[in-house]
Amino acid sequence: MDTFQHGKFLFSGASLQTSLDLLTKALDASISGIILTDNKQPDNPIVYCNSAFEKLTGYQRNEIIGHNCRFLQADDRNQKERKILRDSIKNGQECAIEIRNYKQNGDLFWNDLYVAPVKDASGEITHFIGVQNDISDRKKVEQDLRQQKVSMEKIIAERTADLRDSEAFLTSIIQTVREGLLVLDRDFKVISANSHFIRTFKVTSEDTVGKELYALGNNQWDIPQLRELLVKILPTNNPVVDFEVEHDFPHIGRKLMLLNAYRIELEGQFKDQILLAIEDITDRKEIERRKDDFLSIASHELKTPLTTIKGYMQVLQRNIPDNASEKFSITMGKVAQYIDRLNSLIAELLDVSRIQTGNIELHEAPIDFDKMVAEAVEGIQTSAPNHRIILSGSTNVSILADESHIIQVLNNLISNAIKYGPDSSVVEVHISNVSEYVKVSVKDSGVGMTSEDTKKVFERFYRGNDVQKRFPGMGIGLYVCDQIIKNHKGTLWVDSEKGKGSTFSFTLPKNGKELAKNE
Amino acid sequence: MSNKKILICDDDEGILDVLGLILEDTGHTIIPEINSLNVKAVMDKEMPDLIILDLWMPVLSGDQLLSMIRTTPVYKDLPVIIISASRDGEQIANDHLASAFIAKPFDYDHLLTVVGELLN
Repeated sequence: MDTFQHGKFLFSGASLQTSLDLLTKALDASISGIILTDNKQPDNPIVYCNSAFEKLTGYQRNEIIGHNCRFLQADDRNQKERKILRDSIKNGQECAIEIRNYKQNGDLFWNDLYVAPVKDASGEITHFIGVQNDISDRKKVEQDLRQQKVSMEKIIAERTADLRDSEAFLTSIIQTVREGLLVLDRDFKVISANSHFIRTFKVTSEDTVGKELYALGNNQWDIPQLRELLVKILPTNNPVVDFEVEHDFPHIGRKLMLLNAYRIELEGQFKDQILLAIEDITDRKEIERRKDDFLSIASHELKTPLTTIKGYMQVLQRNIPDNASEKFSITMGKVAQYIDRLNSLIAELLDVSRIQTGNIELHEAPIDFDKMVAEAVEGIQTSAPNHRIILSGSTNVSILADESHIIQVLNNLISNAIKYGPDSSVVEVHISNVSEYVKVSVKDSGVGMTSEDTKKVFERFYRGNDVQKRFPGMGIGLYVCDQIIKNHKGTLWVDSEKGKGSTFSFTLPKNGKELAKNE
Repeated sequence: MSNKKILICDDDEGILDVLGLILEDTGHTIIPEINSLNVKAVMDKEMPDLIILDLWMPVLSGDQLLSMIRTTPVYKDLPVIIISASRDGEQIANDHLASAFIAKPFDYDHLLTVVGELLN
């Protein structure tokens, strides 16, 4: 070959030696590790390496020269890149691979290796050039990315599984619940129906989903009350709660249903969809009715022998021999008293049962209010000679109410005042007009109650702690009173202080519950 | 007070007995009848001045008897007291034009007052 590469490397006309020095310096300045191997010697020993190669591998020049460059692979001999490298060298081709190499101190680094053969004039390969770059950082980032992608995919898979699980769970709840559920779109077309609905109303899913609600099963759902509910109530953004609808279905007969409806206001794919829950309470109502019937019959049957006993007792009381002892007369009186108590317990039980099932019917009629109160007071006064019941005030009105119920409340409040004030002798009853209501207050100077008790005193079966120990009773009297006054659209409340007596008051609308409701 | 006839019909023996015991003191004649099916026959035979009827009785109930009495011209103005432990007893009594209603268990004096008023 003529002068070195046609003088290309005779920089600035320097000598060959100077130019070679410059070239070596340039190679040493490179950040890529560069080696030359001698292909003519066995096992391709390294015959040249630049400083970057020393730096890259951590090996000293004397540990490098003469070795085959596979020492960089340490014990990591099973990489597929090795075969590519081997084949390239064997075939005298260039190749570029990324291979795991190990530094002198054992640290792994990723080597971006480019290998190219050097041929002489006859085409024979004399050397190989290896150019290496440490791409560990890039590999790490790549690996991190890959890992992150894998873990992201894993998380997404988990979340999706979770979602699917909870959706399946929710669906199973919806399908299992013993209440008919319908989802309607804004035009009242059925989007979905659960299996209880399908079963209860004896329809099929195909006949239901996609159909307009009213058109279901030959228009049997075209119920005026239901239309009103969906068209009038729902658009006002009020949920429909426990709306009772009775309807005679052509195939399954008369059903009493409790409807609850809710329109989804939330923005999104479900907006304006309507959830309609339909509870079939036909059987429940029937059971309630039977319970009422049973209690009516039971109380009637219990009262029959009680009537006889009471009758005989009254006959006996009126025929007490002149020479009877005081003990005899007192005992007779006690027996009579307990017969009355037994009677009121039977009546109260029936009352509670009726109130609970909402079956208390009001027979409203005009009542001379003042007269009714006066009579009630008089009635109790005769049976409580140790107390003085003082009636004050007047209303001079006739009110529309169920007289027997109001008398029951008056009796209960006044007897309570007597019962819980055994040591005081006066009970004050005051009546007055307040706006369109009449008001009654019953004041005693008895044991009174704590503020805790005043909150709970109208609850069913509630009895004050002290009261529980000192006075007999079941704790249903005031509950019944409260329900009766509520039925009349009035209010019943108590003001009381421990040890200072209580005042129970109630108001009643003069014109009956219907008018009171509309106001 | 002149002697009057009071017919009492109740399916419970005890009630019949105790009512008899109480009303006996009034000096009137008491005709107890436990089987409501016999009431019409007894009425025709005895021509009572007052009838006391229970409501819940087997086969023929008190309100059915009362309807029969109010639709029979001879008896339509006859005083009839309905006596019952049923909650809606008073309503039924009023609906069937009873002369009075007395709830069971009754009060001795109240019973005598009502009976006295209807007989005079």
